[in-house]
Amino acid sequence: MDRISALMDGELDDRELARQFERLRQDPALRETWDVFHVIGDAVRGDSPLAGSFNERLSASLQREPTVLAPSGRRKTGASVMIYALSAAASLSAVAMVAWVAMSMNNAGTQPDLAAAPVAAPVEPARVAEPVMVVPQLASMPDEGRMNEYLLAHQGFSPSTALQGVAPYIRSVSTRPVDITR
Amino acid sequence: MKILWTVTCVGFLAAQPALADREDPQQALAWLSRMAGASAQQNYSGTFVYQHRGVSETSRIEHFVNTAGGVFEKLEALDGPAREVIRSNDQVTCYLPTIKTVIIEQRNARLLPAQLPERLSDLSENYGIRIGRLDRVAGHECQVIILEPKDKLRYGRRFCAETRTGLPLRASTLGEKNEILELFAFTELTIGGSFNRDRVKSKYLTASRKWRVDRSAMNVTERAADTGWVIGNQPAGFRKLMEIKRSVAGRSSSVAHIVYSDGLAAVSIFIEPLTAAKDRPEQSLTHQGAVNIYTRQLGGHLITVLGEAPAATVMQIANSLEHRTTASR
Repeated sequence: MDRISALMDGELDDRELARQFERLRQDPALRETWDVFHVIGDAVRGDSPLAGSFNERLSASLQREPTVLAPSGRRKTGASVMIYALSAAASLSAVAMVAWVAMSMNNAGTQPDLAAAPVAAPVEPARVAEPVMVVPQLASMPDEGRMNEYLLAHQGFSPSTALQGVAPYIRSVSTRPVDITR
Repeated sequence: MKILWTVTCVGFLAAQPALADREDPQQALAWLSRMAGASAQQNYSGTFVYQHRGVSETSRIEHFVNTAGGVFEKLEALDGPAREVIRSNDQVTCYLPTIKTVIIEQRNARLLPAQLPERLSDLSENYGIRIGRLDRVAGHECQVIILEPKDKLRYGRRFCAETRTGLPLRASTLGEKNEILELFAFTELTIGGSFNRDRVKSKYLTASRKWRVDRSAMNVTERAADTGWVIGNQPAGFRKLMEIKRSVAGRSSSVAHIVYSDGLAAVSIFIEPLTAAKDRPEQSLTHQGAVNIYTRQLGGHLITVLGEAPAATVMQIANSLEHRTTASR
Protein backbone atom coordinates (compact mmCIF):
# COMPACT_ATOMS: atom_id res chain seq x y z
CA MET A 1 0.00 0.00 0.00
CA ASP A 2 2.78 2.42 0.89
CA ARG A 3 4.35 1.72 -2.51
CA ILE A 4 1.17 2.80 -4.14
CA SER A 5 1.11 6.03 -2.27
CA ALA A 6 4.75 6.60 -3.16
CA LEU A 7 3.77 5.98 -6.72
CA MET A 8 1.07 8.56 -6.41
CA ASP A 9 3.52 11.03 -4.99
CA GLY A 10 5.85 10.58 -7.92
CA GLU A 11 8.61 9.32 -5.68
CA LEU A 12 9.42 6.06 -7.43
CA ASP A 13 12.19 5.43 -9.90
CA ASP A 14 11.48 3.84 -13.25
CA ARG A 15 11.99 0.24 -12.24
CA GLU A 16 9.90 0.57 -9.13
CA LEU A 17 7.30 2.35 -11.19
CA ALA A 18 7.05 -0.48 -13.66
CA ARG A 19 6.75 -3.01 -10.87
CA GLN A 20 3.92 -1.13 -9.23
CA PHE A 21 2.08 -0.80 -12.50
CA GLU A 22 2.40 -4.52 -12.96
CA ARG A 23 0.95 -5.10 -9.51
CA LEU A 24 -1.89 -2.84 -10.38
CA ARG A 25 -2.52 -4.65 -13.61
CA GLN A 26 -2.73 -7.99 -11.89
CA ASP A 27 -4.58 -7.18 -8.74
CA PRO A 28 -8.15 -5.99 -9.19
CA ALA A 29 -8.57 -5.19 -5.53
CA LEU A 30 -5.56 -3.00 -5.58
CA ARG A 31 -6.79 -1.36 -8.69
CA GLU A 32 -9.99 -0.49 -6.99
CA THR A 33 -8.13 1.09 -4.14
CA TRP A 34 -6.14 2.98 -6.64
CA ASP A 35 -9.36 4.18 -8.17
CA VAL A 36 -10.62 5.38 -4.93
CA PHE A 37 -7.27 6.97 -4.42
CA HIS A 38 -8.03 8.84 -7.59
CA VAL A 39 -4.87 8.65 -9.58
CA ILE A 40 -5.97 5.99 -11.99
CA GLY A 41 -5.98 8.17 -15.01
CA ASP A 42 -2.32 8.28 -15.80
CA ALA A 43 -1.68 4.73 -14.79
CA VAL A 44 -4.38 3.25 -16.94
CA ARG A 45 -3.06 5.10 -19.93
CA GLY A 46 0.40 3.71 -19.23
CA ASP A 47 1.93 7.10 -18.64
CA SER A 48 4.01 7.55 -15.57
CA PRO A 49 2.02 9.64 -13.19
CA LEU A 50 3.47 12.81 -11.80
CA ALA A 51 6.90 11.83 -12.92
CA GLY A 52 9.56 14.24 -14.01
CA SER A 53 8.37 13.88 -17.55
CA PHE A 54 5.34 15.94 -16.73
CA ASN A 55 6.84 19.09 -18.09
CA GLU A 56 8.05 17.48 -21.24
CA ARG A 57 4.74 15.84 -21.89
CA LEU A 58 3.10 19.15 -21.49
CA SER A 59 5.50 20.88 -23.83
CA ALA A 60 5.17 18.07 -26.29
CA SER A 61 1.44 18.40 -26.35
CA LEU A 62 1.88 22.10 -26.78
CA GLN A 63 3.85 21.53 -29.89
CA ARG A 64 1.31 19.14 -31.27
CA GLU A 65 -1.34 21.83 -31.09
CA PRO A 66 0.36 24.86 -32.46
CA THR A 67 -2.70 26.88 -33.27
CA VAL A 68 -4.38 26.42 -30.00
CA LEU A 69 -1.61 26.10 -27.58
CA ALA A 70 1.63 27.59 -28.55
CA PRO A 71 1.50 30.83 -30.38
CA SER A 72 5.12 30.95 -31.47
CA GLY A 73 7.56 33.51 -30.23
CA ARG A 74 8.31 34.42 -26.67
CA ARG A 75 8.00 31.53 -24.30
CA LYS A 76 10.02 32.44 -21.32
CA THR A 77 7.71 31.53 -18.54
CA GLY A 78 5.68 29.16 -20.67
CA ALA A 79 6.09 25.90 -18.90
CA SER A 80 5.37 26.88 -15.36
CA VAL A 81 2.38 28.96 -16.22
CA MET A 82 1.04 26.17 -18.34
CA ILE A 83 1.14 23.80 -15.47
CA TYR A 84 -0.54 26.35 -13.40
CA ALA A 85 -3.30 26.89 -15.88
CA LEU A 86 -3.79 23.19 -15.97
CA SER A 87 -3.98 22.93 -12.25
CA ALA A 88 -6.44 25.72 -11.97
CA ALA A 89 -8.61 24.21 -14.61
CA ALA A 90 -8.54 20.83 -13.05
CA SER A 91 -9.40 22.08 -9.62
CA LEU A 92 -12.11 24.08 -11.01
CA SER A 93 -13.60 21.22 -12.85
CA ALA A 94 -13.86 19.30 -9.66
CA VAL A 95 -15.70 22.00 -7.98
CA ALA A 96 -18.01 22.48 -10.85
CA MET A 97 -18.96 18.88 -10.38
CA VAL A 98 -19.62 19.51 -6.76
CA ALA A 99 -21.79 22.35 -7.73
CA TRP A 100 -23.59 20.21 -10.20
CA VAL A 101 -24.33 17.46 -7.79
CA ALA A 102 -25.34 19.75 -5.00
CA MET A 103 -27.60 21.41 -7.45
CA SER A 104 -29.31 18.24 -8.44
CA MET A 105 -29.78 17.39 -4.80
CA ASN A 106 -31.82 20.44 -4.03
CA ASN A 107 -33.33 20.75 -7.41
CA ALA A 108 -36.79 19.81 -6.40
CA GLY A 109 -37.90 22.77 -4.37
CA THR A 110 -36.87 25.72 -6.38
CA GLN A 111 -38.01 25.09 -9.88
CA PRO A 112 -41.28 27.05 -10.23
CA ASP A 113 -39.82 30.43 -9.42
CA LEU A 114 -37.01 29.94 -11.73
CA ALA A 115 -38.99 28.85 -14.67
CA ALA A 116 -40.64 32.21 -14.57
CA ALA A 117 -37.25 33.80 -14.69
CA PRO A 118 -36.58 36.91 -16.62
CA VAL A 119 -36.55 36.12 -20.23
CA ALA A 120 -35.06 39.17 -21.58
CA ALA A 121 -36.61 40.14 -24.80
CA PRO A 122 -35.22 43.50 -25.85
CA VAL A 123 -33.59 44.53 -22.66
CA GLU A 124 -31.15 47.14 -21.81
CA PRO A 125 -27.98 45.15 -21.52
CA ALA A 126 -26.53 46.89 -18.52
CA ARG A 127 -29.53 46.04 -16.41
CA VAL A 128 -30.39 42.63 -17.50
CA ALA A 129 -28.23 40.83 -15.08
CA GLU A 130 -30.14 41.76 -12.01
CA PRO A 131 -33.22 39.67 -11.38
CA VAL A 132 -31.48 36.40 -11.78
CA MET A 133 -30.42 33.32 -9.90
CA VAL A 134 -27.95 30.53 -10.10
CA VAL A 135 -27.71 29.10 -13.52
CA PRO A 136 -28.23 25.42 -13.52
CA GLN A 137 -31.78 25.36 -12.41
CA LEU A 138 -33.21 27.55 -15.05
CA ALA A 139 -35.80 25.89 -17.17
CA SER A 140 -34.55 27.75 -20.18
CA MET A 141 -31.07 26.37 -19.97
CA PRO A 142 -29.61 23.50 -21.89
CA ASP A 143 -30.60 20.23 -20.37
CA GLU A 144 -29.86 19.30 -16.81
CA GLY A 145 -26.36 19.78 -15.66
CA ARG A 146 -25.25 20.75 -19.13
CA MET A 147 -24.83 24.34 -18.06
CA ASN A 148 -22.36 23.42 -15.39
CA GLU A 149 -20.49 21.35 -17.89
CA TYR A 150 -20.26 24.44 -20.04
CA LEU A 151 -19.20 26.68 -17.19
CA LEU A 152 -16.52 24.22 -16.37
CA ALA A 153 -15.34 23.79 -19.93
CA HIS A 154 -15.28 27.54 -20.28
CA GLN A 155 -13.29 28.23 -17.19
CA GLY A 156 -10.69 25.70 -18.17
CA PHE A 157 -9.87 27.91 -21.11
CA SER A 158 -10.15 31.33 -19.55
CA PRO A 159 -7.00 33.34 -18.83
CA SER A 160 -8.68 34.58 -15.67
CA THR A 161 -8.57 31.07 -14.38
CA ALA A 162 -4.81 31.09 -14.55
CA LEU A 163 -4.54 34.47 -12.99
CA GLN A 164 -6.95 34.26 -10.14
CA GLY A 165 -5.48 31.17 -8.68
CA VAL A 166 -7.90 29.62 -6.36
CA ALA A 167 -10.66 31.97 -7.30
CA PRO A 168 -12.24 30.12 -10.19
CA TYR A 169 -12.68 27.20 -7.95
CA ILE A 170 -14.82 29.14 -5.82
CA ARG A 171 -17.18 30.30 -8.40
CA SER A 172 -18.18 26.75 -8.89
CA VAL A 173 -18.14 25.81 -5.25
CA SER A 174 -20.99 28.14 -4.98
CA THR A 175 -24.03 26.00 -5.27
CA ARG A 176 -27.09 27.45 -3.82
CA PRO A 177 -29.68 29.27 -5.81
CA VAL A 178 -29.52 32.87 -4.89
CA ASP A 179 -32.34 35.24 -4.53
CA ILE A 180 -31.02 38.41 -5.94
CA THR A 181 -32.94 41.48 -5.20
CA ARG A 182 -30.76 44.43 -4.90
CA MET B 1 -9.80 61.15 21.72
CA LYS B 2 -11.62 58.50 19.78
CA ILE B 3 -12.67 61.02 17.19
CA LEU B 4 -9.19 62.29 16.79
CA TRP B 5 -7.96 58.76 16.30
CA THR B 6 -10.56 58.13 13.63
CA VAL B 7 -9.69 61.29 11.85
CA THR B 8 -6.03 60.45 11.93
CA CYS B 9 -6.76 57.03 10.56
CA VAL B 10 -8.95 58.26 7.77
CA GLY B 11 -6.42 60.90 6.93
CA PHE B 12 -3.73 58.33 6.75
CA LEU B 13 -5.71 55.94 4.61
CA ALA B 14 -6.75 58.70 2.26
CA ALA B 15 -3.19 59.82 1.81
CA GLN B 16 -1.98 56.30 1.16
CA PRO B 17 -3.20 55.73 -2.40
CA ALA B 18 -1.82 59.04 -3.53
CA LEU B 19 1.55 57.95 -2.28
CA ALA B 20 1.50 54.43 -3.55
CA ASP B 21 -0.72 54.27 -6.62
CA ARG B 22 1.33 54.45 -9.71
CA GLU B 23 1.24 53.71 -13.36
CA ASP B 24 3.98 51.23 -13.83
CA PRO B 25 2.68 48.72 -16.34
CA GLN B 26 5.90 46.78 -16.49
CA GLN B 27 6.04 46.22 -12.80
CA ALA B 28 2.33 45.49 -12.61
CA LEU B 29 2.64 42.91 -15.36
CA ALA B 30 5.52 41.34 -13.50
CA TRP B 31 3.27 41.02 -10.47
CA LEU B 32 0.52 39.41 -12.52
CA SER B 33 2.92 36.93 -13.92
CA ARG B 34 4.24 36.08 -10.46
CA MET B 35 0.69 35.61 -9.27
CA ALA B 36 -0.09 33.25 -12.10
CA GLY B 37 2.87 31.07 -11.29
CA ALA B 38 2.71 31.20 -7.51
CA SER B 39 0.26 28.39 -6.97
CA ALA B 40 2.40 25.97 -8.95
CA GLN B 41 5.32 26.59 -6.63
CA GLN B 42 3.88 27.08 -3.18
CA ASN B 43 2.41 24.84 -0.54
CA TYR B 44 -0.34 26.45 1.42
CA SER B 45 -3.37 25.72 3.50
CA GLY B 46 -6.10 28.01 4.58
CA THR B 47 -9.69 29.07 4.66
CA PHE B 48 -11.18 31.29 2.04
CA VAL B 49 -14.46 32.97 1.51
CA TYR B 50 -16.22 33.46 -1.79
CA GLN B 51 -18.80 36.18 -2.13
CA HIS B 52 -21.02 37.05 -4.99
CA ARG B 53 -23.87 39.50 -4.86
CA GLY B 54 -24.68 39.16 -1.22
CA VAL B 55 -23.99 35.47 -0.76
CA SER B 56 -20.90 34.23 0.94
CA GLU B 57 -19.50 30.74 1.26
CA THR B 58 -16.49 29.39 3.05
CA SER B 59 -14.16 26.58 2.06
CA ARG B 60 -11.01 25.03 3.36
CA ILE B 61 -8.08 24.28 1.07
CA GLU B 62 -4.86 22.28 1.36
CA HIS B 63 -2.50 22.69 -1.55
CA PHE B 64 0.82 20.94 -2.17
CA VAL B 65 3.21 20.75 -5.05
CA ASN B 66 6.13 18.41 -5.55
CA THR B 67 9.35 18.98 -7.40
CA ALA B 68 8.10 17.07 -10.41
CA GLY B 69 5.35 19.63 -10.95
CA GLY B 70 2.70 17.45 -9.38
CA VAL B 71 -0.14 19.11 -7.52
CA PHE B 72 -2.15 17.65 -4.66
CA GLU B 73 -5.10 19.44 -3.33
CA LYS B 74 -8.00 19.02 -0.99
CA LEU B 75 -10.94 21.31 -0.99
CA GLU B 76 -13.71 21.07 1.53
CA ALA B 77 -16.87 23.09 1.54
CA LEU B 78 -17.62 24.30 5.05
CA ASP B 79 -21.13 25.55 4.33
CA GLY B 80 -24.13 23.69 3.00
CA PRO B 81 -24.10 20.01 2.07
CA ALA B 82 -20.76 18.33 2.84
CA ARG B 83 -18.52 18.04 -0.19
CA GLU B 84 -14.88 17.21 -0.58
CA VAL B 85 -12.75 17.43 -3.65
CA ILE B 86 -9.39 15.75 -3.87
CA ARG B 87 -7.07 16.42 -6.72
CA SER B 88 -3.89 14.72 -7.84
CA ASN B 89 -2.75 16.56 -10.91
CA ASP B 90 -5.45 16.28 -13.51
CA GLN B 91 -7.25 13.51 -11.67
CA VAL B 92 -10.09 14.88 -9.67
CA THR B 93 -12.26 13.01 -7.20
CA CYS B 94 -15.28 14.39 -5.57
CA TYR B 95 -16.85 12.91 -2.44
CA LEU B 96 -20.50 13.54 -1.77
CA PRO B 97 -21.47 11.93 1.50
CA THR B 98 -25.06 13.06 1.43
CA ILE B 99 -25.78 11.00 -1.64
CA LYS B 100 -23.03 8.44 -1.07
CA THR B 101 -21.39 9.09 -4.38
CA VAL B 102 -17.84 9.45 -5.60
CA ILE B 103 -17.30 11.26 -8.88
CA ILE B 104 -14.04 10.83 -10.72
CA GLU B 105 -12.93 13.10 -13.47
CA GLN B 106 -9.89 13.34 -15.64
CA ARG B 107 -9.21 16.64 -17.30
CA ASN B 108 -7.86 16.64 -20.78
CA ALA B 109 -4.80 18.82 -20.48
CA ARG B 110 -3.92 18.64 -24.12
CA LEU B 111 -6.10 21.45 -25.34
CA LEU B 112 -5.47 23.98 -22.64
CA PRO B 113 -4.11 27.08 -24.25
CA ALA B 114 -1.02 28.81 -22.93
CA GLN B 115 -2.76 32.11 -22.82
CA LEU B 116 -1.24 33.97 -20.04
CA PRO B 117 2.44 34.52 -20.72
CA GLU B 118 1.81 35.03 -24.41
CA ARG B 119 -0.90 37.51 -23.91
CA LEU B 120 0.12 39.54 -20.91
CA SER B 121 1.18 42.37 -23.17
CA ASP B 122 -2.23 42.39 -24.83
CA LEU B 123 -3.68 43.13 -21.47
CA SER B 124 -2.46 46.68 -21.49
CA GLU B 125 -4.36 47.36 -24.72
CA ASN B 126 -7.61 46.67 -22.96
CA TYR B 127 -6.88 47.53 -19.35
CA GLY B 128 -5.09 50.25 -17.47
CA ILE B 129 -2.79 48.33 -15.16
CA ARG B 130 -1.66 49.93 -11.93
CA ILE B 131 0.15 49.00 -8.80
CA GLY B 132 -1.88 50.02 -5.79
CA ARG B 133 -0.96 50.27 -2.17
CA LEU B 134 0.28 47.61 0.16
CA ASP B 135 -2.49 45.93 2.07
CA ARG B 136 -2.98 43.04 4.45
CA VAL B 137 -5.12 39.97 3.94
CA ALA B 138 -5.42 37.10 6.40
CA GLY B 139 -2.45 38.45 8.30
CA HIS B 140 -0.16 38.56 5.27
CA GLU B 141 1.18 41.67 3.64
CA CYS B 142 0.12 41.91 0.02
CA GLN B 143 0.48 44.16 -2.99
CA VAL B 144 -2.65 45.53 -4.63
CA ILE B 145 -2.73 45.33 -8.43
CA ILE B 146 -5.53 47.06 -10.28
CA LEU B 147 -6.80 46.40 -13.79
CA GLU B 148 -9.17 49.07 -15.00
CA PRO B 149 -11.08 48.36 -18.19
CA LYS B 150 -10.55 50.90 -20.95
CA ASP B 151 -14.15 50.52 -22.15
CA LYS B 152 -17.47 49.02 -21.08
CA LEU B 153 -16.91 45.74 -22.81
CA ARG B 154 -15.10 44.22 -19.85
CA TYR B 155 -14.98 44.18 -16.07
CA GLY B 156 -12.30 45.57 -13.80
CA ARG B 157 -10.18 43.41 -11.53
CA ARG B 158 -8.39 43.98 -8.31
CA PHE B 159 -5.90 41.58 -6.85
CA CYS B 160 -3.82 41.49 -3.75
CA ALA B 161 -0.73 39.31 -4.13
CA GLU B 162 1.28 38.18 -1.14
CA THR B 163 4.49 40.20 -1.27
CA ARG B 164 6.93 37.35 -0.80
CA THR B 165 5.40 34.55 -2.90
CA GLY B 166 3.00 36.36 -5.22
CA LEU B 167 0.15 34.12 -4.11
CA PRO B 168 -3.19 35.81 -4.78
CA LEU B 169 -4.80 36.39 -1.39
CA ARG B 170 -7.74 38.36 -2.63
CA ALA B 171 -9.27 38.75 -6.06
CA SER B 172 -12.31 40.72 -7.00
CA THR B 173 -14.21 41.45 -10.17
CA LEU B 174 -15.75 44.90 -10.42
CA GLY B 175 -18.76 46.04 -12.40
CA GLU B 176 -19.30 49.26 -14.26
CA LYS B 177 -20.04 51.26 -11.14
CA ASN B 178 -17.09 49.76 -9.36
CA GLU B 179 -19.41 47.47 -7.44
CA ILE B 180 -17.98 44.11 -6.46
CA LEU B 181 -19.54 41.36 -8.53
CA GLU B 182 -17.43 38.60 -7.16
CA LEU B 183 -14.83 38.39 -4.45
CA PHE B 184 -12.62 35.69 -3.18
CA ALA B 185 -10.36 36.20 -0.18
CA PHE B 186 -8.43 34.11 2.26
CA THR B 187 -9.45 34.66 5.84
CA GLU B 188 -6.74 32.46 7.26
CA LEU B 189 -3.68 31.17 5.47
CA THR B 190 -0.44 29.34 6.16
CA ILE B 191 2.11 29.45 3.38
CA GLY B 192 4.70 26.69 3.23
CA GLY B 193 4.63 23.46 5.19
CA SER B 194 5.63 20.08 3.94
CA PHE B 195 3.59 17.58 2.04
CA ASN B 196 1.78 14.95 4.01
CA ARG B 197 -0.54 12.60 2.21
CA ASP B 198 -2.94 12.51 5.12
CA ARG B 199 -3.69 16.15 4.65
CA VAL B 200 -4.96 15.64 1.14
CA LYS B 201 -6.83 12.44 1.88
CA SER B 202 -10.57 12.45 2.02
CA LYS B 203 -12.07 11.71 5.38
CA TYR B 204 -14.60 9.64 3.46
CA LEU B 205 -11.95 7.42 1.96
CA THR B 206 -12.94 4.30 3.87
CA ALA B 207 -16.65 4.91 3.94
CA SER B 208 -16.72 5.67 0.25
CA ARG B 209 -15.65 2.19 -0.79
CA LYS B 210 -19.29 1.24 -0.58
CA TRP B 211 -20.50 4.29 -2.43
CA ARG B 212 -21.50 4.60 -6.02
CA VAL B 213 -18.65 5.61 -8.29
CA ASP B 214 -19.55 7.88 -11.17
CA ARG B 215 -17.07 8.12 -13.97
CA SER B 216 -19.27 9.62 -16.62
CA ALA B 217 -17.37 12.88 -16.51
CA MET B 218 -14.40 11.08 -17.99
CA ASN B 219 -16.20 10.47 -21.23
CA VAL B 220 -15.73 13.90 -22.71
CA THR B 221 -13.39 14.31 -25.65
CA GLU B 222 -12.36 17.60 -27.13
CA ARG B 223 -10.58 18.13 -30.42
CA ALA B 224 -9.58 21.17 -32.44
CA ALA B 225 -11.95 21.69 -35.36
CA ASP B 226 -13.33 24.21 -37.76
CA THR B 227 -16.91 24.43 -36.59
CA GLY B 228 -18.09 26.68 -39.40
CA TRP B 229 -19.45 29.27 -36.98
CA VAL B 230 -18.24 32.87 -37.08
CA ILE B 231 -18.93 36.14 -35.33
CA GLY B 232 -19.96 39.09 -37.44
CA ASN B 233 -19.59 41.78 -34.81
CA GLN B 234 -16.61 40.95 -32.65
CA PRO B 235 -16.29 43.10 -29.49
CA ALA B 236 -13.20 45.32 -29.62
CA GLY B 237 -10.10 43.80 -28.08
CA PHE B 238 -11.37 40.22 -28.19
CA ARG B 239 -9.63 37.59 -30.28
CA LYS B 240 -10.44 34.00 -30.96
CA LEU B 241 -8.48 31.80 -28.60
CA MET B 242 -9.58 28.40 -29.78
CA GLU B 243 -12.23 26.42 -31.54
CA ILE B 244 -13.04 22.80 -30.72
CA LYS B 245 -15.69 20.13 -30.85
CA ARG B 246 -16.73 18.50 -27.62
CA SER B 247 -18.26 15.10 -27.67
CA VAL B 248 -19.61 13.20 -24.76
CA ALA B 249 -19.78 9.44 -24.91
CA GLY B 250 -23.39 8.40 -25.04
CA ARG B 251 -24.62 11.59 -26.64
CA SER B 252 -25.28 11.50 -30.30
CA SER B 253 -24.29 15.00 -31.35
CA SER B 254 -21.15 16.95 -30.59
CA VAL B 255 -21.11 20.51 -29.33
CA ALA B 256 -19.08 23.27 -30.98
CA HIS B 257 -17.09 25.33 -28.49
CA ILE B 258 -15.37 28.59 -29.47
CA VAL B 259 -13.52 30.82 -27.02
CA TYR B 260 -12.83 34.53 -27.43
CA SER B 261 -10.60 36.44 -25.05
CA ASP B 262 -9.22 39.91 -24.45
CA GLY B 263 -6.20 38.51 -22.66
CA LEU B 264 -7.94 38.27 -19.31
CA ALA B 265 -11.66 37.77 -19.66
CA ALA B 266 -12.92 34.97 -21.87
CA VAL B 267 -16.26 34.36 -23.51
CA SER B 268 -17.26 30.88 -24.62
CA ILE B 269 -19.78 30.01 -27.29
CA PHE B 270 -21.44 26.60 -27.25
CA ILE B 271 -23.53 25.51 -30.19
CA GLU B 272 -25.62 22.37 -30.17
CA PRO B 273 -28.60 21.08 -32.10
CA LEU B 274 -31.87 22.19 -30.62
CA THR B 275 -33.67 19.23 -29.12
CA ALA B 276 -37.36 18.97 -28.30
CA ALA B 277 -37.84 22.49 -27.07
CA LYS B 278 -40.65 22.30 -24.63
CA ASP B 279 -41.45 25.74 -23.33
CA ARG B 280 -37.95 26.88 -23.98
CA PRO B 281 -37.84 30.65 -24.31
CA GLU B 282 -36.30 32.21 -27.39
CA GLN B 283 -33.61 33.76 -25.27
CA SER B 284 -32.62 34.16 -21.66
CA LEU B 285 -29.95 35.87 -19.66
CA THR B 286 -28.65 34.83 -16.25
CA HIS B 287 -25.45 35.00 -14.32
CA GLN B 288 -23.36 33.11 -11.84
CA GLY B 289 -20.93 35.24 -9.95
CA ALA B 290 -19.28 37.47 -12.52
CA VAL B 291 -20.15 35.11 -15.36
CA ASN B 292 -23.02 36.19 -17.57
CA ILE B 293 -24.85 33.49 -19.44
CA TYR B 294 -27.03 34.11 -22.44
CA THR B 295 -28.88 31.52 -24.48
CA ARG B 296 -30.76 31.91 -27.70
CA GLN B 297 -32.06 29.81 -30.52
CA LEU B 298 -30.77 30.13 -34.02
CA GLY B 299 -32.03 28.10 -36.94
CA GLY B 300 -32.40 24.77 -35.21
CA HIS B 301 -29.50 25.36 -32.86
CA LEU B 302 -29.28 26.25 -29.23
CA ILE B 303 -26.61 28.86 -28.65
CA THR B 304 -25.16 29.34 -25.18
CA VAL B 305 -22.70 32.16 -24.67
CA LEU B 306 -21.08 32.70 -21.30
CA GLY B 307 -18.13 34.54 -19.87
CA GLU B 308 -16.80 36.81 -17.15
CA ALA B 309 -17.77 39.89 -19.13
CA PRO B 310 -20.68 42.35 -19.04
CA ALA B 311 -24.00 41.10 -20.36
CA ALA B 312 -23.75 43.46 -23.33
CA THR B 313 -20.50 41.86 -24.47
CA VAL B 314 -21.85 38.35 -24.09
CA MET B 315 -25.02 39.25 -25.97
CA GLN B 316 -23.15 41.04 -28.74
CA ILE B 317 -21.20 37.88 -29.41
CA ALA B 318 -24.29 35.69 -29.27
CA ASN B 319 -26.33 37.92 -31.50
CA SER B 320 -23.76 38.26 -34.25
CA LEU B 321 -23.04 34.56 -34.51
CA GLU B 322 -23.69 33.05 -37.91
CA HIS B 323 -22.97 29.88 -39.76
CA ARG B 324 -20.60 30.35 -42.65
CA THR B 325 -22.11 28.73 -45.71
CA THR B 326 -19.97 26.70 -47.99
CA ALA B 327 -20.62 29.24 -50.72
CA SER B 328 -19.11 32.17 -48.88
CA ARG B 329 -15.91 30.42 -47.98
